[in-house]
Amino acid sequence: MQNEFAFFPGCVLTQAAIEAKMSLEAIAPILGIKLKEINGWSCCGASQAQDVDPLATLVANARNLALAEKMNLPVLTTCSTCLLMLRRAKAQLDHGEKEKINTYLAKGNMNYKGTSEVTSLLWVLAQNAEMIKSKVKKPLSGLKVAVFYGCHSVRPGKDLGFESSTNPTSFETVVKALGAEVVPFTKRLDCCGFHAVYPAEKSVMKMTSGIVNSAAESKADCVVTPCPLCQMQLDIYQDDAQDTTKSKARVPVLHLSQLVGLALGLSAKQLGLDYNVIDASKLG
Amino acid sequence: MKFIIDRFDGKKNYQQTYTVEKKDIEALTLLGTLLFIKQHQDITLNFTASCRMAICGACGVRVNGHAYLACDTKMTELFEEYKDADTFRISPLSNYTVISDLAVDWEPSIENLRKVKPGLVAKSEFSEKEGCRQNQEEYDRIVGQWDCILCGVCASECNKLSADRSDYMEPFVYTRAWKVANDSRTKDPMIHVKPTVTNGLWNCVHCHECTNRCPKHISAAEDIAGLRAMAMRKGLNSGVGPAHAKSFYTDLVEDSGRLNEIRLALRTEGMSTALRAAANKE
Ligand code: SF4
Ligand code: SF4
Ligand code: FES
Repeated sequence: MQNEFAFFPGCVLTQAAIEAKMSLEAIAPILGIKLKEINGWSCCGASQAQDVDPLATLVANARNLALAEKMNLPVLTTCSTCLLMLRRAKAQLDHGEKEKINTYLAKGNMNYKGTSEVTSLLWVLAQNAEMIKSKVKKPLSGLKVAVFYGCHSVRPGKDLGFESSTNPTSFETVVKALGAEVVPFTKRLDCCGFHAVYPAEKSVMKMTSGIVNSAAESKADCVVTPCPLCQMQLDIYQDDAQDTTKSKARVPVLHLSQLVGLALGLSAKQLGLDYNVIDASKLG
Repeated sequence: MKFIIDRFDGKKNYQQTYTVEKKDIEALTLLGTLLFIKQHQDITLNFTASCRMAICGACGVRVNGHAYLACDTKMTELFEEYKDADTFRISPLSNYTVISDLAVDWEPSIENLRKVKPGLVAKSEFSEKEGCRQNQEEYDRIVGQWDCILCGVCASECNKLSADRSDYMEPFVYTRAWKVANDSRTKDPMIHVKPTVTNGLWNCVHCHECTNRCPKHISAAEDIAGLRAMAMRKGLNSGVGPAHAKSFYTDLVEDSGRLNEIRLALRTEGMSTALRAAANKE
């Protein structure tokens, strides 16, 4: 197993989603995963900056990838939007843009070669499900989990490509390896709306609420998502969203790394469960 | 094996199950399978199709909740995608009003297309006699979007349309606007860009269903990004959408490169929302 990675935290892990970083840092050593943060990484553009300047966005990500190449390591990120932005940049660079973009990087004495692959925590865990099983200390038996993939961990398939985008299984594989029960969940491939929460607030609240209600109908104890942006949207905005649709249901929303940590026997405190807005304490 | 198909007879919705031998349909396309069921089991089953070669755009349907162009989808692909399932759910395109069984009403989509002036308004230097020439490079720029066959597959899966269509249009409408606006022969790109701005351009939620499902490998989401950049270059940059995008850009390029979420919220929506988000987090 590839167990050492150039770690791309993305803005969200260094700021709003502190519990995602805590739990990731807590589980990684137990799973034997070494994460070396990419020194000097910059924002991936967050699926927004390209609306202003696609070239600058591509240059920024070429730079991020070049930094990882210097470390001779594949890139790992937890944020699905970072994953998409980095993988899309890599595809563009590897299919014709490299030379042009390298003229910009040269100004900073950098060079993109194309030697580092980009992967996500979810994918690495899915590829090593047997290993995870062997590390589980507290199997999550009886815990009903609604797995929420989030758009950018599967779509567009041409940029992500790890598995089928209409019928993915990686997340179920991981959650089952932890001993939890995956409940049927009709909204598992829907969009949480995060990226348009400002311009399309009304629609986004409806989307968020629909996901929470679908999880509640499935009698899930929690929603789990690999993407910290989805987690933020479904957790921080859950009260607002449920108020706008006058729904009573509330469902805790965990980061993938938090769920893994629970099965590894880590404490609620180590996993930052008290930072989750919708009360997740009884899961710890 | 079974096909559970959504039916609508003008009054009531119901599901009908058709049992077929896998060997009879496994070498067919999805459209072939629908025709097989119609021919051998139920002449009343209604769906639309014409060219059978991915050109007319009439045959979009959903399988297991995802849209496909029926004539362009082999059953073997579906068996692979859904791991040898022995039951498929077939339903009409989502985000459309159903007329009958799998046939949907295209009129509202056509209305939206009209809003962006989908036809070329050519530069005055072109004439009937001289024609409307463009060079290879200019043609290549738009040829991808030119391929759109108005099948509605992207629209069926669009999360924003599903949430609320009153302030949004079908993804292919934005793609069409991008195409005419970027055609070298166009008189004024803004004739097409402006109506997209007033009809939801900034409301796309970036779910990338459109990109993912399009049988012609068109990315409406990328065309939307392109239209946004064009709009902002022309000074159409008021509102929370442009402010949001610009703050990422400024952070990316001018500041440290790590965006500060609190400052982002401040720039986009003003103090109250930012403080609420911060308060929620504590
Ligand atoms: S990316 Fe935008 S246009 Fe495309 S399907 Fe999603 S919301 Fe609709
Ligand atoms: S953009 Fe693609 S999916 Fe959408 S209508 Fe055109 S061809 Fe169909
Ligand atoms: S029948 Fe014409 S596109 Fe499928």
